[in-house]
Amino acid sequence: MDDIKTTESSWQSGIAKNITFIVTKDCQLACKYCYLVGKNEKERMSWETAKAAIDYILGHEADFPEASVVWDFIGGEPFLEIELIDRICDYLKTEMFRLGHHWFNSYRFSFSTNGINYHTPAVQAFIKKNISHLSVGITIDGTRQKHDLNRIWKGGGPERGSYDDVVRNIPLWLEQFPGGGTKVTISSADIPYICESVLHLYSLGIHEVNINVVFEDVWQEGDDRRFEEQLFALADAIIDGGYYQDYACSFFSEHIGKPLDPEKENQNWCGAGKMLSIDAAGTFYPCTRFAAYSLREKKPIIIGNVRDGIDRNKLRPFLTLDRLTQSPQQCIDCDVASGCAWCQGENYDAADTPTIYQRATAICLMHKARVRANNYYWNRLFRKLELEGEREDYESNKRTVEPQNC
Amino acid sequence: MLQYMIILLDDASTSFCHYEVPSGERRLIHLDDLRAAIRLAMIENLTIQFVYPDYELPQEYQEVIDTIDHSDIKPLLAVTPDADVVTINGWEIDNKSLSGRVAVLRTAMSELLAHTRAVKDLLAVVQRLNVVITDLTTLTDTNREAYMHWLNEVGQTVVELYINGQSPQFNLLTDRMMLAAMNNCGAGDTCITLAPNGRFYVCPGFYYDDPENDVGDLRRGFDIKNRQLYKLNYAPICRQCDAWQCRRCVWLNRHTTLEVNTPSHEQCVAAHLERNASRQLLTSIRQKGTFLPDKPEINEIDYLDPFEKLQER
Ligand code: SF4
Ligand code: SF4
Ligand code: SF4
Repeated sequence: MDDIKTTESSWQSGIAKNITFIVTKDCQLACKYCYLVGKNEKERMSWETAKAAIDYILGHEADFPEASVVWDFIGGEPFLEIELIDRICDYLKTEMFRLGHHWFNSYRFSFSTNGINYHTPAVQAFIKKNISHLSVGITIDGTRQKHDLNRIWKGGGPERGSYDDVVRNIPLWLEQFPGGGTKVTISSADIPYICESVLHLYSLGIHEVNINVVFEDVWQEGDDRRFEEQLFALADAIIDGGYYQDYACSFFSEHIGKPLDPEKENQNWCGAGKMLSIDAAGTFYPCTRFAAYSLREKKPIIIGNVRDGIDRNKLRPFLTLDRLTQSPQQCIDCDVASGCAWCQGENYDAADTPTIYQRATAICLMHKARVRANNYYWNRLFRKLELEGEREDYESNKRTVEPQNC
Repeated sequence: MLQYMIILLDDASTSFCHYEVPSGERRLIHLDDLRAAIRLAMIENLTIQFVYPDYELPQEYQEVIDTIDHSDIKPLLAVTPDADVVTINGWEIDNKSLSGRVAVLRTAMSELLAHTRAVKDLLAVVQRLNVVITDLTTLTDTNREAYMHWLNEVGQTVVELYINGQSPQFNLLTDRMMLAAMNNCGAGDTCITLAPNGRFYVCPGFYYDDPENDVGDLRRGFDIKNRQLYKLNYAPICRQCDAWQCRRCVWLNRHTTLEVNTPSHEQCVAAHLERNASRQLLTSIRQKGTFLPDKPEINEIDYLDPFEKLQER
């Protein structure tokens, strides 16, 4: 039997430093769920700022001891700034080489794009030049109906969905990145489309679907039940259709829904503070979610800038944050706590005081619904595998799932 | 649990701690608010500490103040025989007026290092000296060394005073020897501040930063959100630290790391230099005779910032 496909663990997960350039706050789309509350066309990163950031980071090698680095480019839509990105990546490569930097042989450029410009000559030339060090994820939300519900073109006039403009680039993308995965974000209005959307993405040839519910407090009464029903239907479809062999959906993970040990499993979930995010003004953030354009209620958390470097005192709360200190008692005692995620930025934005130490639990009922569906999925799948004499084979070949949340 | 209420009688009340009082107009607390605060303190069983400005209060205020058992924190200029704590800003000190007193000396690090003699003289007369270093966050590798030597030098004077039968209390050197557990500031946990505007604050520093930082008022009562974060158990670095004398200043924490429960590197280093100097002091006194026989030795440690120890795990 083939290996059962699970979501690919993110590259060098845990040992790589993640450095994000917010190259632009502009985007062709105006997605309805977009957390970037302050998107605009003006704030584009200049070459001078990008260069100053790189010079600072590569010039302080001892402060960045991680074995590898992921240079991440986000927006808005990052490919709107492909010329700048190309120049940044060329400079990074030559500088890492010139300095004999320990990242020279262990780096990756990573993009999360709306896919609209993917086929353009400039983007394609960049991809061909850097393909061996590249990850590109295209965001597509599912069926045309589901995608066009949220991912609409910016501008006046009648609402226009972007599905066709993205889907036409999927074959080229999958040819260049055969393992390419997509991220899907579920908000309240998306629940009825979950099952058909995941299956639709599989039918487009996308084998890895990273799907998450949003952390914000958007949920309506009964959403958890509706969510659970969608996941039951999806579980049946994946098992009956045999998709579990070659396809993965991050909703189903063997390791979620168990109690967590207060001592051994006390780590923070989110990587904020271990990452570094840089905006057009050359300001450093612990993660993009702490930049002003991502926050609804709170002031940005700034940890430095390209001129003065990183204020290490500002990193201390992030680096010492643990699960118990930020969790309410209900989460400490929770029987299904494993896999119940949080986003430090959303915690901060939703907190009663300006702190990252108050965990938001808007996701609670949704996680519990996911756990119930997940239990159903694995019980059904394992029984099927046992009846078919495949269980042992599966156990010896199984890979662990690395859920991505941000 | 709240145990203390600090009442700033005026916007120009003296600072007894790390925060600065902005120079501005006087604004005396409203007499009705003062009465309401005293009543609340009685109901909640809180001990009141009044903080005074440098001018004489109207008689009716004094009468209301005297309706409750309390302590007074007054600036040196306004010292009257009834001040429990005297705050000193500057070095023109008449030591005689401070004999047997509890004094708070607020000073920049460079000033402190330049006035070793004055500190030694003060220690010889006061009952207790609290030194507050007002620019702690600018501690550098260079003045860190100098501070360490300064502490050891003043420590020698403390040894001599002990040999002479005096037992001066000095927050930077003797507290750690005497303590058996953490003893920090308590702002937001055991202690709350009432400002002249009738609103409550975690400490006076939060009021002077921004009056909108309030945590309740006399009508609504106390409303300290995320109150747990002021407790030691919710401070990941401090809860495994043994610099028990440290102020653990949550106001400085908020300024330097943006989180009330997380101290800056500089605050930790300063507190550990003091802790280590206390260790040396304890050893020196014990060489002269039996001293605090119930107290264990202070261990030798190889870090000055517990954050680094935590990160190694
Ligand atoms: S949010 Fe709910 S499901 Fe998640 S750990 Fe807390 S109690 Fe459990
Ligand atoms: S938090 Fe405590 S130690 Fe810090 S300034 Fe306020 S009263 Fe002083
Ligand atoms: S030395 Fe640092 S860790 Fe220890 S109590 Fe003081 S502030 Fe906290």
